Amino acid sequence: MKTKNLKIAAILLVVMTVGFSFTTINKVTVKGSDTMVILSQKWAEVYMKKNPGASIQVTGGGSGVGLAALINGSTDIANSSRPIKSSEVEKLKARYNTLGVEIPCAKDGLSVYLNKANPVASLTLKQIGQIFAGKITNWKEVGGPDASIKLYGRESSSGTFGFFKDNVVKTDFSPTCQTLPGTAAIVNAVKKDKYSVGYGGAAYAEGVKDCAVKKDDKSPAILPTAATIKNHSYPITRYLYMYLKSKPTGETKAFVDWILSPAGQGLIAEVGYYPLK
Amino acid sequence: MKKILFAVLVMTSVWTNAQEVTSDTVKTESVDTLKTVDINQLKESVDDHSMKLAGFEEKFSAVESVVNELSKIKVSGYIQAQYEMYDSWASDGTQHGVLVTGSAYEDNSFYIRRARIKFTYKPIDGVNFVLQPNFEAHQVTLKDAFVQLNDRWLNTFSLWVGQFNRPTYEIEYSSASREFAERTLMTRTLYPTERDQGAKLEADFVTNFEIPLKLQFAVLNGNFGEGALANQAKDVDNGKDIMARAVYSLKFPSKGLGIDFGAHTYLGNTTVIAQTTPTPTVFSDVNNNSFTPNVGDKMKKELFGAEVQMYYDFLGGLSLKGEYIRGTYSGTTNTAQVNTLFNANKVRNVEGYYVSLVKNVGKVNEVSLRYDVFDPNTKLSGDGVKTKDDLKYNTWAFAWQYYFNDYIKVMACYTLPVNEKSLNAGADYIKDKHDNIFTLRLQARF
Repeated sequence: MKTKNLKIAAILLVVMTVGFSFTTINKVTVKGSDTMVILSQKWAEVYMKKNPGASIQVTGGGSGVGLAALINGSTDIANSSRPIKSSEVEKLKARYNTLGVEIPCAKDGLSVYLNKANPVASLTLKQIGQIFAGKITNWKEVGGPDASIKLYGRESSSGTFGFFKDNVVKTDFSPTCQTLPGTAAIVNAVKKDKYSVGYGGAAYAEGVKDCAVKKDDKSPAILPTAATIKNHSYPITRYLYMYLKSKPTGETKAFVDWILSPAGQGLIAEVGYYPLK
Repeated sequence: MKKILFAVLVMTSVWTNAQEVTSDTVKTESVDTLKTVDINQLKESVDDHSMKLAGFEEKFSAVESVVNELSKIKVSGYIQAQYEMYDSWASDGTQHGVLVTGSAYEDNSFYIRRARIKFTYKPIDGVNFVLQPNFEAHQVTLKDAFVQLNDRWLNTFSLWVGQFNRPTYEIEYSSASREFAERTLMTRTLYPTERDQGAKLEADFVTNFEIPLKLQFAVLNGNFGEGALANQAKDVDNGKDIMARAVYSLKFPSKGLGIDFGAHTYLGNTTVIAQTTPTPTVFSDVNNNSFTPNVGDKMKKELFGAEVQMYYDFLGGLSLKGEYIRGTYSGTTNTAQVNTLFNANKVRNVEGYYVSLVKNVGKVNEVSLRYDVFDPNTKLSGDGVKTKDDLKYNTWAFAWQYYFNDYIKVMACYTLPVNEKSLNAGADYIKDKHDNIFTLRLQARF
């Protein structure tokens, strides 16, 4: 009797093990850039529909937060709207003995938002940098009305902050630049304040106008559009990245491969960004 | 009668209507009053809440300014608590363990190896103040204390002034990250306590110029980690030592391969700051010949090193690291300057290297192997070595690390030093001395 029970238990165990092995949910965690949250959630949503066994968990927090989570092992994929810093690579080397894996997955343009009532329509990269550095403080210095410039920007953990600082401001932001949590908050603030200026993803510019940007005094002013961002003629374009500790395997690899496939890339435009090709 | 009844009914209905109309008027008046009262109350409530909100805003801005100030201070640190077992025997086999006090020997012990808190204050972009004390059971010592100024124009240069790590790979690689219980004998001997006081200029060309080259140049007192602590507070010999290091990084992302390689040099002296009287102390030179230096004489301390670190993404991370140093080193037993691991009045040609292999296994395990060699006297070998301090050591270290999470890890490390054998360097060294160490370490960091 005991033997019979044991046999039944063993068979049940085998059946359950086989069953569970087929129904196991393969969980992949994605954390990081707030700019990429909507895009990443869209990818996860569609991917999970197509692959019912997969579980993709997406959270934001900022590029710096995502990369810190990758280094401390609490996420599989870090989304970042800026390239990884050398100091972060050093931490990956120390903990995982790898340089990390960088996967550009989409393109984005950073728009300089102006209030629709602001007569200023275009600025050079240098002027934008000087405005956010606090060296130009009045619109009349760039051909606008005699009014003080109100600055809105992102918090320092944001990849958008880092990219804008490194590529446009090239020095410290003015202490008068008010930091807001997220691009939507910046758009709202600029919408309400006639003489304000902010920056963020080109896709978010609803109710405000995009500033046309000139590379220098002699260059033409370019607006951030799908075409100008894709062909990099708009001066403030960037890649959006996914970072991994090491070469992806299993479900993570399948998810990354799918994102880079035509099916994944096809979803990018729906959320306002631009595919790689 | 019918007419009277009809008249009464009509009157009644008119009266009733009149009552209703009267009643309506009263109701309308009540609603209006109520509305006025409600609006007034609402206004009062809004005013009240506005005032409260303004109060909160005021409090919030006060708190925000405090939080902004506090966010400029970062506190991190780690504790390494360990259990050690010493496989150490006297040559006659009578004493097992290491000498503690007097004639007491111990072969195992719990031990707090490191307990450090690091404070970093960043008042404005480009300026860092760093302070890192190390707490020991009997004292608190200062590990790092420096001001770091980063150039805000090119984002390339940084100037460090104070007490900081000497610029070599093994020294700058944090003890909290290291895969083995201790640094190599070579590094511990040539750069005692790792740090020194002085000024260092660093140039990192990767951020602004995308050139993966890092240059370091330091001017140092040259006597930190030597002699009594009180003597390390300032320079003891007036002469400054110089260190320089260059590292270039190659990346092959498609192959998952990264190679960092570089070189460093240390150019300094050991100055004879005192001589014994009436009989002056006799030193020995690189050929083991005796000489008697005068006060003020300088003995060479010149080292040249090369380094390479390779990282390869092969079934998870894998790294192969190595460093080679050779040159001329000098020391003295003068209590103000003595290096306890180079404890003699001598000048020596020295040479050492190490190779380490580290492999990550899954997400939480890491296994490591290191082979290191240090020869404190390249001109003597075998029975020609007359003192234990001139013996060459080949040391193997095997380690396993388990990461519970980002904050806690366990390390098991077994170190096997194999000494050069000599009939003339003391009874313990006629054959390989039993002096292996097993370390089981728990590290918590925050």
